[in-house]
Amino acid sequence: MTIQANSATASSSQPGEQPSGPPRTPGSRFKTGLLSVVSARESTLAGVVVLLVIVLSLLSPYFFTQGNLTVVGRQIGLALMISVGMTFVILIGGIDLSVGSIVALVSVLTGELMVTAGLPPALAVIIALVGGAAVGAVNGIVHAFVGIPSFVVTLGMLAVARGLALGITSGSTISGFPASFLYLGQGSLLGIPIPVWIAAVIALAAHFVLSRTTFGRHVYFVGSNEDAAMLSGIHTRRIKVLVFVISATLASASGILETARLSVGQPAAGNGYELAAIGAAVIGGVSLSGGVGRILGTVLGTTLLLLIQNALILLGISAYWQQVFSGVIIVGAVALNMWRKKRSR
Amino acid sequence: MADHPLISMRGIVKKYPGVTALNGVTLSVEPGEVMALVGENGAGKSTLLKILAGAERPDSGVIEIDGVAVESHSPRESQSRGIAVIYQELNLANDLSVAENIYVGREPKTRFGTVDFGAMERGARDLLQSLGISVSPTTLVGDLNIALRQMVEIAKALLIDARVVVMDEPTSSLTEEEVETLFLLVRKLRAAGVSVIYVSHRMREIFAIADRVTVMRDGAVVGVRDAAGLTPGDVVQMMVGRDLVDLYGQRTTPVDGTAVPALEVRDLSCGAMLHDVSFSVLPGEIVALSGLIGAGRSHAALAIFGARKRRSGQILVNGKPVDFNGPQDAMAAGLGFVPEDRKQQGLFLELSVRENMTSASLAKLSRLTVMSGRKDRALARDYATRLGLRQSAVEVAVGTLSGGNQQKVVLARWLARKPRILILDEPTRGVDVGAKAEIYQLIRTIADEGVAVLIISSELTEVLGMADRIVVMREGYGVGEVVARGATETQVMALATGVKEEAE
Repeated sequence: MTIQANSATASSSQPGEQPSGPPRTPGSRFKTGLLSVVSARESTLAGVVVLLVIVLSLLSPYFFTQGNLTVVGRQIGLALMISVGMTFVILIGGIDLSVGSIVALVSVLTGELMVTAGLPPALAVIIALVGGAAVGAVNGIVHAFVGIPSFVVTLGMLAVARGLALGITSGSTISGFPASFLYLGQGSLLGIPIPVWIAAVIALAAHFVLSRTTFGRHVYFVGSNEDAAMLSGIHTRRIKVLVFVISATLASASGILETARLSVGQPAAGNGYELAAIGAAVIGGVSLSGGVGRILGTVLGTTLLLLIQNALILLGISAYWQQVFSGVIIVGAVALNMWRKKRSR
Repeated sequence: MADHPLISMRGIVKKYPGVTALNGVTLSVEPGEVMALVGENGAGKSTLLKILAGAERPDSGVIEIDGVAVESHSPRESQSRGIAVIYQELNLANDLSVAENIYVGREPKTRFGTVDFGAMERGARDLLQSLGISVSPTTLVGDLNIALRQMVEIAKALLIDARVVVMDEPTSSLTEEEVETLFLLVRKLRAAGVSVIYVSHRMREIFAIADRVTVMRDGAVVGVRDAAGLTPGDVVQMMVGRDLVDLYGQRTTPVDGTAVPALEVRDLSCGAMLHDVSFSVLPGEIVALSGLIGAGRSHAALAIFGARKRRSGQILVNGKPVDFNGPQDAMAAGLGFVPEDRKQQGLFLELSVRENMTSASLAKLSRLTVMSGRKDRALARDYATRLGLRQSAVEVAVGTLSGGNQQKVVLARWLARKPRILILDEPTRGVDVGAKAEIYQLIRTIADEGVAVLIISSELTEVLGMADRIVVMREGYGVGEVVARGATETQVMALATGVKEEAE
């Protein structure tokens, strides 16, 4: 056989790297600055919320009444605290199914401490918060150090915490709270319900922590790529435990305020809250695979979910059907998100 | 030779964002021949195979099988036309038996429509016997070693009447003996008129088994030769195709041989993959850890960096023993580590270039854990400029960059910490040639500035071109040390494989 001729000659150089990123024009810096504050996705969501408000006020004369807005605002505030905590957990690529049960446990705990044991309200609230945080620490430690997926750990905790709440009270409710405590849930400041103020402060603080602190960066790193985070010198397990403590503590805060709002500590509280919180975060653009999402999105997602609930009530649709709507909206939002992601590639 | 080849790929072009993977490649394979396909990592072999397998669609070019053009470029069409590809990661179900795996998707049926396990086992047994593979068809695939799993994969290919079997680096995890068994099988295939495309960069294997050799470089075929009359030197020459000195640069500052080693490892053992390895790296020196894949090099790197618990042995930094409880301790002692697998271990793909670059320097960029956005941006812009990345790329998600630029981002993360010791595990894997040269230049520069550099690389040319000294590992043991100047590939390979290779 003879040696064959080269079938192709070598190209001597690779083509240079193509520039990535948007082309820069004068003044575009300001625009990119604005865009980074509100991404396209979040502005769409905000648009949907505004549209819903307009439609609701046209459809129902009750929507823009002081009474209805106070009720909706309180509900949004209480739900938002849990959603914010859930956002942290989902950002590290985890899930916390135990938040609803923690609400119940803390509600019962607050009742036992304040009513049955007669502790001063402030002390009772602090102990209840610490108790809730401890539940989160257990979640986080078992997940991070034993290596059990957070889905399984918190599914177990969902049952354990609910069982504790029922066991402690034998299934009955606790009432007889002092008025100073009830004010937390029922009172208003400058015409705005107290829970809304607290939720607003929590959301702002969470936004600051996630966007401006090293801990916030670490949360995104762990969620985006745990191995890479570890090899960048980040204590990944510590971050995980802290995140579950945050989630449980915020759920506890919400549980305490709800107890004050309803004037009753009840072991049946918080049923299904985990789904609402996950749904709100996901509608707000937080990626279930971790590393992507912002508090602003969660705020909008929570608002949207609760406005829709309010709409169904105002339109006289049976409460039984409301869950159907919520479920469809959550899945629809995720589908929309995936479709946009695919198209942008 | 027949009038038309069994496979003819002509003018294949494939572009990815930022990289031309294939630039007009032509490949032809005759019936019943073993064609070796060789080339450095990133030369385009895998892309070419993916296109042949129908897993990727070429941007332009023609593929003909038996003189008839391929139309749909789908895996289904490739398979039905008789092309079987055996990837490095085998496609077998570990929980199913050998017979079930061989017959997957074409199980024989009884007249009731259920799977006829009896017929399946008999068929599998006959097939395995005809190939001389001594495996019971009822064994679970998960219980077999890698070599036997590969044989099962080949048997599976033959059941679909494959006319071309493509093997992508089939021996990378095989022992010498297993390689011989594989060769027997390849010869049997050839005798039966089946063509084999054999991808490897182990010279010895290529010359033991191939009829012809196609050499690729930088996305193009640079030569097709008959194996007879060809020497390994010729092939390497074609593969590399340039003056080594040009690509890798030259050392400008001599290493002070009397200095205290920046990093010294004594009798390091870790898990089952690392046994009593010792070596040292002087300030300003570039030392390469060489050896075959699976020789334990990456384990050594992870153990040094504190990411794996060591079983025994000592690590000394600047002459002082250290005990790292995790990467954060190693970083505090002045170490940096660019891991082997950029996507799995290195990058936060969804996050921006800036966040990736500054991820190991957050303490420096914050006060009381509150980040300074200004310092954060300034650091990222600074390193983007130094590494030749565009300013506009700083806020882009790192996952959208090319392999070379991604690697630069990981390098920047560590350079930003000004490490005294830098460990680089496969720093140029999946990086195009242009970026490679830049990365080599960068490594040279930091070594000249006095940083101790430890490089792990599977590319011998890179090891010989870059390193001052080469530490060779085999099966978890350090088996020798070579001064790079004047060393040859054969020398290093002989140590790495434990087999004296004859220089032809």
